[in-house]
Amino acid sequence: MDAPLSPLNALSGRAAVDTDRRGSWVPTYRMVTTRFMELRRRRGLMIALVVVNIGIPTVFLAIRLLLHAVDAKTYGPAGGYDTFTNIVAGVMYVFGFIIAATLGCTAGSADLTEGMFRHLVVTGRSRLALYLARIPAGLAIIVPMVAVGFAVVCMVCVLAAPKVINYNGVSVPAGLSQTGFETWAGNHTNDVICQFGYGPKANVNIACRYNPRTGGVIDLNQSLGKSGLPPTPAQIKSDAIRIAQQDYPAYKLYFLSPPISLMVSSGLWIELEAVIGFIVGLGLASLIGQRTVSVILMIVLELILTPLFSRAHVPHMINVQRGIVGLATAHLEPSGLPLLFGGDGGGPSGVRTASLLVPETRTVAVLVIIGWLVVWTGLGAWRMMTRDA
Amino acid sequence: MSSDVASIRGGSHSQWAVETHGLTKRFGENIAVNDVELRVPRGCAFGYLGPNGAGKTTLIRVLLGLTRADAGTASLLGYPVPSQRDRALARVGAIVDEPRFHGHLSGRQNLQILAAAREPAAAGRIDSSLERVGILHRADDRVSKYSMGMRQRLGVAACLIGDPQLLILDEPMNGLDPAGMHEMRDMILSLVAEGRTVVLSSHLLDEVERTCDAVAIVDRGRVIRQGPIAELLSGAAVSLEVECSDPERARELIGRLALQSVVELTPSGLTITLPAGTSRDVVAEINRVLVEGSLSVYRLQEIQVSLESWFLQVTSRLGAEG
Repeated sequence: MDAPLSPLNALSGRAAVDTDRRGSWVPTYRMVTTRFMELRRRRGLMIALVVVNIGIPTVFLAIRLLLHAVDAKTYGPAGGYDTFTNIVAGVMYVFGFIIAATLGCTAGSADLTEGMFRHLVVTGRSRLALYLARIPAGLAIIVPMVAVGFAVVCMVCVLAAPKVINYNGVSVPAGLSQTGFETWAGNHTNDVICQFGYGPKANVNIACRYNPRTGGVIDLNQSLGKSGLPPTPAQIKSDAIRIAQQDYPAYKLYFLSPPISLMVSSGLWIELEAVIGFIVGLGLASLIGQRTVSVILMIVLELILTPLFSRAHVPHMINVQRGIVGLATAHLEPSGLPLLFGGDGGGPSGVRTASLLVPETRTVAVLVIIGWLVVWTGLGAWRMMTRDA
Repeated sequence: MSSDVASIRGGSHSQWAVETHGLTKRFGENIAVNDVELRVPRGCAFGYLGPNGAGKTTLIRVLLGLTRADAGTASLLGYPVPSQRDRALARVGAIVDEPRFHGHLSGRQNLQILAAAREPAAAGRIDSSLERVGILHRADDRVSKYSMGMRQRLGVAACLIGDPQLLILDEPMNGLDPAGMHEMRDMILSLVAEGRTVVLSSHLLDEVERTCDAVAIVDRGRVIRQGPIAELLSGAAVSLEVECSDPERARELIGRLALQSVVELTPSGLTITLPAGTSRDVVAEINRVLVEGSLSVYRLQEIQVSLESWFLQVTSRLGAEG
């Protein structure tokens, strides 16, 4: 134990103390990097987060790829637009929040439960700086992790997208111009007239005979043209083209793979959800000083309270409901995704006709999110600064 | 250490490394720290002694700003706490209670986290600190694999990375084997020799007596004695052990002397307890009376008062239990 320590250098030591701004609330870069290391070295936690956020979507997509490779007729392509929207809105949104909250709760309580808080306080460093250092450190883990999981989903959904669009049960080539779509319709009159939806503008009076195996087939015996006779092939083709003209606006919203704009907006949206989960989890765990209870509360918030109070319109609580952060993020959901917590719309049509969500403007949603981030950071920091160590 | 050197090294010109006035900390009805007046001189090893529950750790926690005092003032190295705790603690290293760390990290990584919260130069002291406490060879092992003694050493290393002028060590011998205790004692003495101040809270009185220059005794939250050990022990009762040819007669002869003594028969002879401050002439007088009473005196020995026996005399709780 007698190896020499650096000699006590009074003057240089004093100067260093005077200039290291130890009382400043701003964390140093080294505080952030060492905190990052502390979190990243939690092997069990990291494995769990990777499994949930990256592993589950990857395995799901891998199984779909495998099944499609083995039996393409029975199992559709692994990727594509629909797969993307369903995974992002149904899985990654929730999983991203939960893993971020778990990491936040760990970051907020680990020093307390593992006895390091006291050592850190004794350094004389500002307690606020000690708290704030956890935020960039945690986000430096969670944001890339969510991004990697999302990138895997995007990659598979783009590379393994179907070759044709399934439009109203009919396989249609993707990306056709209006002329091309009309030409294709003129060559597939049975499918277009018997399967596509159309309104009165098409003025079609051709009957179809439906068979469970073959689908719809034009029944000339039951159809009457304008002359009162069965329609001629030219009339049938003309009607099919009119239907195509009417359906083109809807058709052009169908994609084989998710468009880049939707992938970008969806990625930012689930990253926002993850950031919220981390910050709120950090503040909550710092406030109550326990990880397990904090994680349970965060899961209850995400899986029970948010869906419940986002759909149930309780007249006297409507403004309280608008204050739920999950409702706010649901209102910021990209329009190409299926609506969270129920309701019609979303998906390829992009039209949301019957949302069940408690109504809220986007401005209010943004303010609610900012409020949650600020309030929970404030509560966590306040507890950190006043807690007995 | 001279006062000039102390003033250069300190944040102010205070000659005290630790100074408190009327420091009080309550937990409900219980007063854990009761109007404590404490002055720890710079550059010495100072023992802070007391029975379990006397308030030793609470006082340390108050001094370090880990919990707030209800009344009174305190300063470390001349800086008042908590108002200037960042400056005060910049040159303080401390272990409070059992040292605990992130078990999933290595000893070195734990120190890196603590060094990052200190000045930039602290990171450069990690290896030398680990070497000094004798665990450099295990620095890259996970702390969860460390023994209690190794964690204790890591705690001391955590103190040293700040190049402290003042170390406050709460029960640093806990978990150490005899060799480890010996090494820790040597290290504390070497730290003091470098001009640092070490405040040692412990119930291992023998270790404190060997290590410290001065002590304070705390009981029920209140400091009841403080000062240099030699000075304090000089105020303790004097004991004599006597072996002679007729202990009963010796007791009778000593009883005739007008001394405020307590004489007890023992299997080997007599034990005589004299009041504190009894001069050596009294001892010679006792010897003369026994010899003039035709007794053969085989041994007459003044027993050195140990810190432990003195501690037992002055702490009210142990006295009451006894």
